[in-house]
Amino acid sequence: MIEPLKVLIVEDEALLAMELESLVEEAGHSVVGWATSSDEARRAVDTTEADIAFVDIHLTDGPTGVDVARYIGEKKKSMVVFMTANPKRIPDHFAGAIGVIAKPYTMNGLLSSLRYLQEGVRRPPPKSALPAGFTLSPAFQIVWAPTA
Amino acid sequence: MDWKRTREPADAWHMTDDLHVEHGKGDPFAAAIRATRMSMIITDPRQQDNPIVFANDAFLRLTGYERQEVIGRNCRFLQGPKTDKEAIGQLRKAIEEVADVSVDILNYRKDGSTFWNALYISPVSNDRGELLFYFASQLDVSDRKRSERRITADKERFEKAVQDRTRELEAALEAQTTLLHEVDHRVKNNLQMISSLILMQRRTITDEAARQSLTTTLERIEALSTVHRRLYQSKDVSRFDVSDFARDLISDLVTASGRTHINSRLDLEPVIIPAEKATPVALIVNELVTNALKHAFKEHPDGATAGHIGVRMSQPDGHLNIEVSDDGVGMAGTVAETSFGMRLIKSLARQLHAEVEWDDAAPGTRVVISIPNEPQHRGNAS
Ligand SMILES: Nc1ncnc2c1ncn2[C@@H]1O[C@H](COP(=O)(O)OP(=O)(O)O)[C@@H](O)[C@H]1O
Ligand SMILES: [Mg+2]
Repeated sequence: MIEPLKVLIVEDEALLAMELESLVEEAGHSVVGWATSSDEARRAVDTTEADIAFVDIHLTDGPTGVDVARYIGEKKKSMVVFMTANPKRIPDHFAGAIGVIAKPYTMNGLLSSLRYLQEGVRRPPPKSALPAGFTLSPAFQIVWAPTA
Repeated sequence: MDWKRTREPADAWHMTDDLHVEHGKGDPFAAAIRATRMSMIITDPRQQDNPIVFANDAFLRLTGYERQEVIGRNCRFLQGPKTDKEAIGQLRKAIEEVADVSVDILNYRKDGSTFWNALYISPVSNDRGELLFYFASQLDVSDRKRSERRITADKERFEKAVQDRTRELEAALEAQTTLLHEVDHRVKNNLQMISSLILMQRRTITDEAARQSLTTTLERIEALSTVHRRLYQSKDVSRFDVSDFARDLISDLVTASGRTHINSRLDLEPVIIPAEKATPVALIVNELVTNALKHAFKEHPDGATAGHIGVRMSQPDGHLNIEVSDDGVGMAGTVAETSFGMRLIKSLARQLHAEVEWDDAAPGTRVVISIPNEPQHRGNAS
């Protein structure tokens, strides 16, 4: 058994955050916090320990998700995966994030992404195939999927 | 035009001694210069400050001065506050360099009114190369300048109008693109919310049949979600690759769902269809694949639940062929004419003018769908 992940959710839509939390927990991981704005997200980053942060680009205070990712990167506390309906808004360098899960994702797509990330975080590089709807950043493409 | 003859003192010509020396009083050229309607003057650079030594009547008419007022003076009395400094500089430079010069310059009459002067100045030297005179002719080109200015103003107005319109159109396009992204973003978020609502509801239900029913609904919504995600990920939102969709669907329903006992065989050519056909085609494929997963391997005669599911796509001459097959229990004896899934497939097929064929593949089932897929004109879907 690989150790489960501690997940921080940065998502302004309550419904999506709620359901994401259920799916993460059903998959055996834990959710350590939920933030809806960049301020809340920074506070959550400072006060919690997470392995992975799922970060939406558009939050209650605007398109600040990339700033949140940059902040998390500077603190070196957790890894970031963007989760957005607007993947084209992500800068080319991905602000250091692993990649992006494009919305709308499917339940099975999300579960396999969690499995993939668990392998990638605990025992990199991940063994399972890159899930549909999951796009790696150029930097992680090199280390996690060098042949693809 | 003022055709009043200018009074000329009897000795006026004698004021121009040097000219006299060169040309002589009876010289027909001198007479012509005196009488021509072209304004002309001669200056003497050998005298202090290069004064006018000859001015014809046309010059006096043009400038409004009397002859004795101009003879002996440097030409610069024609300049005024609005005269272009650069034009004056050009004249000065030409005089210094003893060169020809032609320049349009704003000049002032005696009464203070202005005119545009197409001025031409040229140095005159004798055989020994000694500079004797400057010869200057003036032409009133105020009319030409006015129309030039009007044309320039018209052109500037026109260019500004074009620029304004271009800016307007660019702003409109930008607004439209922003709106499209906004709507796309909202549609995707809403699809995600619908799935979330169904999943939340399903968690509260213990009845297996009701749960199954919500699962089927979720799968259909997720098929739509996948279409939407794929459509807006591609560079061209008016085209849709059904093969890419099928790959996502199979990985979602077979690989990711942990159905490790089922093997999938994909034989997929890229099959591009117009965007408006994407949803019905995707829903049909979803129905056929979920049916095989749900029904084919459940009650296999030997009790095992393992099996194969195959999806093939090809695009022979104007048709798109989709084949979904399994090696499960088969459909022989199934009376499914009125079940919802079947009705959905048949209605969508009708919408697409497609033919659907259920074959007993012994073992298992093979469904073949043939959709006419004529080349469409681009931009139809926009
Ligand atoms: N690939 C298959 N293999 C075996 N049986 C099938 C297959 N596809 C459909 N059937 C049968 O046809 C019936 C009608 O299918 P459908 O209209 O999709 O309804 P549902 O999937 O909700 O049962 C199914 O209940 C099943 O008995
Ligand atoms: Mg069905």
